[in-house]
Amino acid sequence: MASKGRRSFELTISSRLEEMQAVHALIAEAVKEYKLNTEMAHWMELSISESMINAIQHGNKADPAKQATLRISSSGDAIEIIVEDEGTGFTLDKIADPTDKANLLKPSGRGILIIRSFMDEVDLSSTEGGGCRLRMVKKLRGVDGAHRQ
Amino acid sequence: MSIVVNPRRLDDVVILDLSGRITMGEGTLVLRDRIQKLLAAGDQKFLLNLADVDYIDSSGLGELVTSFTTIRNHGGQLKLLNLTRRVQDLLQITKLLTVFEVFNSEAEALKTMK
Repeated sequence: MASKGRRSFELTISSRLEEMQAVHALIAEAVKEYKLNTEMAHWMELSISESMINAIQHGNKADPAKQATLRISSSGDAIEIIVEDEGTGFTLDKIADPTDKANLLKPSGRGILIIRSFMDEVDLSSTEGGGCRLRMVKKLRGVDGAHRQ
Repeated sequence: MSIVVNPRRLDDVVILDLSGRITMGEGTLVLRDRIQKLLAAGDQKFLLNLADVDYIDSSGLGELVTSFTTIRNHGGQLKLLNLTRRVQDLLQITKLLTVFEVFNSEAEALKTMK
């Protein structure tokens, strides 16, 4: 069920990859609302979808009975994205470096790197219910800055 | 839009013209299935033309890496052609530019695959 406020968006889905269509649709709505340019929109969509896929697959172990929630809001000079799942979480600094020579040919493990390379802030915490909350912030360069249309 | 794979052949090189998105799920499965069938038929030299692909997620990158290692393990080669700037940026961030040989000219790529 999605609900949209004036400058914020929220979506809760069951942990199935088929639900990613709704995630992409919500991101498109947010991008339009915040008038992001195509470059910013591209990296925003990629980062948010990576975080939601992580929540579904790694956090909730693709258990459709478990939910993942996405919130997108803007303060005007930054966009904040919060992704919550029902998993036990992980430690950002303990993730294997996918750019390490030993890991370059591994098929997975690049999602967080992509997120961190685009977002200005990325942090993890626990939810009240014991799940995992990933918070990401992308700063915007002023009202008429380069990130807007 | 998921991925569309159009194969064509120049001598013993299979050029796969890709368009759309290479993402978790159908996008990666389509590419994997096509390459596996070509490998099973005896093809060993692959050039992926990514000119019309401007969105690849981490699963899509993983699929490219898996294709690269699978083909190499069969004694073959896989090279990339015509990266869009966003895909180029993604390969730079992930250091996969150190893994793949990348070309902007089909003719130049083919020369290296003889």
